[in-house]
Amino acid sequence: MSDEKAASLGYLSGIRTVVELELRQRVRSKSWFIMLVVWFLVILAVTALAAYSASPLVLGTAEAEQVGQMMFELVISFVLLFGLLVAPALSANTITGDRAGGTLAILQNTLLTPGQLLWGKWLASWIAALAFLIVTLPMLAWAMSYGDVYLPAVPLFVLMCAVELGVACAIGVGISARSTRPLFAVVGTYLVVALLGLGTLIGFGLSLSMTQETVTDYEVVNPQDPYANVEMDENGVPLDENGEPIEDEERFWREFDAEHADFVYRPEDEICTDKPIERTILHTERTAWMLAANPFVVVADAVPTQPAAAGQDYAPEGPLGAVQVGVRMAQYGVDGPDCVNGVRQPEPSMNPGEMPPLWPVGLGVQLVLVGLLMADGRRRLVTPARKLATGTRVA
Amino acid sequence: MTGAPREPQGAGSDDGTVDAGNDVRNDVGNDAGVSGAARQGGGIVATGLARAFGPVKAVKDIHFTAAPGEVTAFIGPNGSGKTTLLLMLASLLRPDAGTIRIGGLDVVEHPRDVRARIGWMPDTLGVWEALTAREILVAVGRLYGMTKERACERADELLDMVKLTPLAKQPARVLSRGQQQRLSLARALMNDPAVLLLDEPASGLDPGARIELRNLLRKFAAEGRTVVVSSHVLSELDEIADRAVFVADGQTVRDQSVHDVEEQLRGYTIRGLDQEHLLRTLSDLGVLFTVPAGQRRPEALVEASSELQAAQLLRELIDAGVAVSAFAPSVGALEETYMSSVYAAEVHRMTSAHREGRNPEAGQ
Repeated sequence: MSDEKAASLGYLSGIRTVVELELRQRVRSKSWFIMLVVWFLVILAVTALAAYSASPLVLGTAEAEQVGQMMFELVISFVLLFGLLVAPALSANTITGDRAGGTLAILQNTLLTPGQLLWGKWLASWIAALAFLIVTLPMLAWAMSYGDVYLPAVPLFVLMCAVELGVACAIGVGISARSTRPLFAVVGTYLVVALLGLGTLIGFGLSLSMTQETVTDYEVVNPQDPYANVEMDENGVPLDENGEPIEDEERFWREFDAEHADFVYRPEDEICTDKPIERTILHTERTAWMLAANPFVVVADAVPTQPAAAGQDYAPEGPLGAVQVGVRMAQYGVDGPDCVNGVRQPEPSMNPGEMPPLWPVGLGVQLVLVGLLMADGRRRLVTPARKLATGTRVA
Repeated sequence: MTGAPREPQGAGSDDGTVDAGNDVRNDVGNDAGVSGAARQGGGIVATGLARAFGPVKAVKDIHFTAAPGEVTAFIGPNGSGKTTLLLMLASLLRPDAGTIRIGGLDVVEHPRDVRARIGWMPDTLGVWEALTAREILVAVGRLYGMTKERACERADELLDMVKLTPLAKQPARVLSRGQQQRLSLARALMNDPAVLLLDEPASGLDPGARIELRNLLRKFAAEGRTVVVSSHVLSELDEIADRAVFVADGQTVRDQSVHDVEEQLRGYTIRGLDQEHLLRTLSDLGVLFTVPAGQRRPEALVEASSELQAAQLLRELIDAGVAVSAFAPSVGALEETYMSSVYAAEVHRMTSAHREGRNPEAGQ
């Protein structure tokens, strides 16, 4: 009998068995394949639409070389969006479902530890979620076929999407372990994921009013700038030497442009005047951490951007590039006074490469959240169980 | 012996309850010696178990021992705490009070070591529907730390034992309830447990499978395992249980071995080819009897205080030339005890609860 043989179950081998159990069931259920096919068609439609709307056909320009990056980032955004919708469904039922089906107690009655059970369930749901990411690879390849996609960013985009799906799955498994009803687990997971995806935006938006500060700033002029020295009336119509509005405005500007055709605006020529103005400044650097936990921000921010051409500011070509610039500027707090003690303050760089990244903060916040949910879930899986929710039986 | 028609309800509920209390105390006292033996093997010693779910006290005070090599039956009405008790034994629920030692190990303190030695078959069938019977068994074997080869080998052995080999490659969802029940039993046996905990194992089984189950359980006991079975179907336990623990309202009301049953007052049904002759002889022998009305075949009911007395009566009848065609206990031995202790305790509880004006149905 069992007394003579040593009862031992390796940590990894226990996890592997749980993963195998889960995946085997998943692969054999029809709904899983139907979901994959629907997913593929939706992403295909989105990619085709992005390709169409960014094509010269619609834009009316010949700049087809810019389309690839735009499409790529659009597809990645949609994959992440839909992935965040699918991951809770894949993960939130794993443990509550076993509980309802009576199989959880059977697993708990073996040598499996709560930790192995959680890791196994998480890994299995993550692998299932990654299948959705893999299905979208052809569409990413399509976008890359345009040739202008910044290649060093591609593996990182995919990797960070995978990481974010893993985070969403871990949230689902953690909530699943602590809840007794499948519906509650699924809805709860959706709410937490929505809190990250939308709640962070809403929170940041609402917090903006609290970061307002009214400062006295001074007007900035550039004496070298001929355009700034043109006198105009209140309607923006330029004035002649006598202070009368010029009648043929168009001709005036044409001549003016021709006269100053070789003018290059240099920001370093700007000087501060002593003309005070009241300005409201938003200290976004105080609340930018809220945005950090947003999965889209983490993905967008972790990826290297195409270096800007020499002497030019970085101009994002896709939505995620724009998100990266936006959040980095928000964290940096670019909205400062122009003049301090009569000295022109330098404009911060718009180049994201020169601003500190935000994603480590975001991923950190997410991992803390996941850690708390998983630890709470683990507590509920410890047997012999001390506490049971009312109306539930362990078997 | 009495000639009055047997009315179980009238068996003196107060007496039953008092007796039950005495029995428990006696048994626990006697078991001091048994628990030493149980510690070496896989036996179970449970003392003072209590477990509440919120305001509902599912188990209040249960004591029992189950020795290796014996089949111990938990008998009690629905909601008497049998399943809760088995969950505690299976190391899934922590008792609020009391201790359980399985093979000398405290279940709460060493749940993992205990799990290696127990096999638990729950009353609700937990089945991974998309997996085949064989895959389920192999996966469970792996979770007990077996190698893949060993788990496959053991799974095939057990599938053969529970006669599921032809269905081994079928997904579990196509199995009938009885087949799933057999699969569940095989699953509980994967780790070759020293202690088997079976919650209502026979429900859903056809008569043939019931007989097989009975033989299997006897075989496990003969191999030195501790077998614990819960049920409320008394007839199926009569044949297999060495020891019966009667549970009512979360308490042990009686803990008896089959030897006790032999010394117990029981009713016997006697049938003769010639009813007249049988009844006359019984009168001559001075034995009180009743003749139940509305029976298809005429018979006489008597009571005997022990099996010895019953055997003597049979011999006397035969010596007197009565052609006896049937001589058997009217009801199963466990049913007899159930009626005299559990049922009595239940009736007592219901009536006293009624008097106190609270709801006695707040079961588990």
